[in-house]
Amino acid sequence: MTTSDKNPIHKIIGGKIWGLFGSLKFVLFILFSLAILSVIGTVIQQNQPPQFYVGEYGSKWASLIFSIGLENMYHAWWFSILLIFLVANIIVCTIDRFPPKWKATLETKIDIDAKFIKNIANNHTIVLQDEPQAVKENILNILHKKRYKIKEANTTEGISLYAWKGITGRFGSDVVHVSLLLTLVGAILGSIFGFKDFGAFYEGEVTTIPVVDFQFGADRSWHGIPLPKIERQKRASDIQLRLDKFWIDYYETGQIKQYNSILTLSDSGREVIKGKQIWVNAPLHYHGLTFYQSSYGIAYDRVKQAEFVLKDSKTHKTAVQPFQAAWNIPYDIPGTDYRIKVVSFVSDFGYDPTTKTIFPKSAEHNNPAINVEIYKNGKPVARPWLFYNYADLFAQIPDSDYELVFRGYKGIVYTGLSINRDPGTAIVWIGAALMIIGCCMAFFIFHKRIWMYVRKNRNETEVHLGGMINKNKFTFERELLEIVESIGGIKK
Amino acid sequence: MKVIMSLLFFDMAFWFYFATMLFYFAYWITKKELLGQASTVLAIISTFAIFMMLVFRTKESGHAPFSNLYESMTFFVWVISIAYLIMEFRYKIRVIGAFVMAIVFVAMFATSNLPYRFQDIQPLNPALQSIWFELHVFSAFIGYAGFGIAFGMAIIYLIKARFEERKASHFLIDRFPLSAILDELSYKSVAWGFIFFTLGALILGAVWANKAWGTYWSWDPKETWSLITWFVYAAYLHARVTRGWRGKKAAYVAIFGFLSTIFLYWGVSFVLPGLHAYASQ
Ligand code: HEM
Repeated sequence: MTTSDKNPIHKIIGGKIWGLFGSLKFVLFILFSLAILSVIGTVIQQNQPPQFYVGEYGSKWASLIFSIGLENMYHAWWFSILLIFLVANIIVCTIDRFPPKWKATLETKIDIDAKFIKNIANNHTIVLQDEPQAVKENILNILHKKRYKIKEANTTEGISLYAWKGITGRFGSDVVHVSLLLTLVGAILGSIFGFKDFGAFYEGEVTTIPVVDFQFGADRSWHGIPLPKIERQKRASDIQLRLDKFWIDYYETGQIKQYNSILTLSDSGREVIKGKQIWVNAPLHYHGLTFYQSSYGIAYDRVKQAEFVLKDSKTHKTAVQPFQAAWNIPYDIPGTDYRIKVVSFVSDFGYDPTTKTIFPKSAEHNNPAINVEIYKNGKPVARPWLFYNYADLFAQIPDSDYELVFRGYKGIVYTGLSINRDPGTAIVWIGAALMIIGCCMAFFIFHKRIWMYVRKNRNETEVHLGGMINKNKFTFERELLEIVESIGGIKK
Repeated sequence: MKVIMSLLFFDMAFWFYFATMLFYFAYWITKKELLGQASTVLAIISTFAIFMMLVFRTKESGHAPFSNLYESMTFFVWVISIAYLIMEFRYKIRVIGAFVMAIVFVAMFATSNLPYRFQDIQPLNPALQSIWFELHVFSAFIGYAGFGIAFGMAIIYLIKARFEERKASHFLIDRFPLSAILDELSYKSVAWGFIFFTLGALILGAVWANKAWGTYWSWDPKETWSLITWFVYAAYLHARVTRGWRGKKAAYVAIFGFLSTIFLYWGVSFVLPGLHAYASQ
């Protein structure tokens, strides 16, 4: 009977796959593949808009990049598969190797003989005049001082001793591997259950903080197997944030030293954090939410106040000296029947003809435009958009000799805060700590084993001694020589 | 004119390191014990000089001395010198010093030739003002030093192993320790390097990023390159326990790993865009 008769084909293939994932050569292959692919990801800039790739590489290469997913490769399916392979590798390796290692390190042969020791590469023979019992006591003493644990067994011919230390070192690599899995679990949990948000906040304004809700369902299926589905939905929370103050500190040289915001938080109407200052590197934590100082800018949709001037529409001479109108507060233009009110603003004027709406094209102040209401004797007469860059556009006030010119504005600074929740981080940090502990165990604790066989040979006592270590052979050779010397061997 | 003490000590250290390197080479060639001792003394003096440079730099700039390329290179030189001296005292193998000091001198030379704008004292931008940033760099550089020494050792290993295989002999090569010892020392350097690199470059870097930006990992080029480097050294560790990869292939991986480290440190700053670009602005 051949093996293929005994083993169905799926078992053979399964065994092959298991063998592959249990193999160290495959680990090297995966590690190098991950390294090389990651290099590509640093050379091709990630997550840029499509135009970028077309501009950089031409349309042919760009479409190739998009079809492979190289523009967001760390989240491409093939990159994830490599990571999954790494995980599978670790799991299979551990299942394969851990039990036999555990057995071999804990259940060591104790009753051995001189022949067994002769087979250990690093062995010595010592001949002494003392009685075996005294020699044994001496050896026990020496090894105890060196913090070895010792077991002994009496055989018919003599005494065999087994001394060991540093078993924990053997399991350092397992701790590292498990820690790696743990870190990945933390990262995955974070990517499923965490969220990250960004918002612009204005001084004095109160904002309700959105959070994300999860719903689990299984409404999709694959060949009848229900697939778990996680839906994420943003909803308003009971947490409200007020920005009390935002400011920037500068060095004497004019470079920016620090961005600071003072925040007040209330939860269900109750103030829970009052006037807490945050800055870059010093976020605010509240119930799993973290608020980071992340940027700042000038508002794109409002101004503090705007400056106007009235001109004679015929001569274009100044008719009324420049004046400031505050946001949303009616202002009576001196010496006229007119009153204006600033009602909206966009920093980069955009107009959508299909919906007839005005919108900011960007947060940059490329084409600032302001919307004012004009009243005459209390009655609204016009509601024009005025442009900072195109002063004479739509400037005429209807049925009058005046032109209203938008001369400037004082922006409102906002603070950009990142708000996030990542329930996986704690696990990631635990994994990281374990990884360091595991590395220290693996690299600095050596599993040292010494077998000794003490027997009477005519009127002398013979000690056979052999030692093994899992790594660091040369240092151990020296230590073993020291031990041999203190037992009484190698006297010249 | 006011003397800038840090520059003074840097120049001193530069010439001391130059002399140190020459002495180690002279010792390697002549095997005169006196030259060996002189080399060690010179190495200690150079290390002290570069340490004083760092002390004065800290005083002059008001922050830890590794916030730009010039400072961090100097810091690297100091760490690798200390690491080497510890190794020399523990294992009493002095000929390796020629190689390590050559690496150190190359680093000093590169540092002294940095354009002036990279040497300048810069006030710390908001993101860098964090104890986590300082610990991150401190620990990562100990890692670099470990990898640097392992790199030197791996090169000597390859030369030595080739001679041993062919049973060839040359007085310069014969003075190196046995290849098996070199392999063990190289492994030890990687082990120390790996721990500090993992802790510094990956973990503390992640802690810092999490504090500053709210994400512990964002695949920016510097982060990705530290991961690449880390994979390479993980491969080294596993190569050493893999049949067919022990010895020479592992040594090549160690060399490759240090090239990756250099790119992580220099290449990313100058070639690739990203958060960490010291060279930008
Ligand atoms: C990036 C991923 C990995 C890291 C960081 C890692 C880390 C380590 C470390 C630090 C050691 C100790 C090395 C030493 O003592 O010199 C080790 C040993 C080992 N690793 Fe990994 N490992 C990884 C992936 C894997 C995978 C996927 C496998 C599965 C085949 C594996 C199998 C082993 C084995 C068999 C040992 C030797 C075990 C021993 O001597 O106790 N490793 N690993």
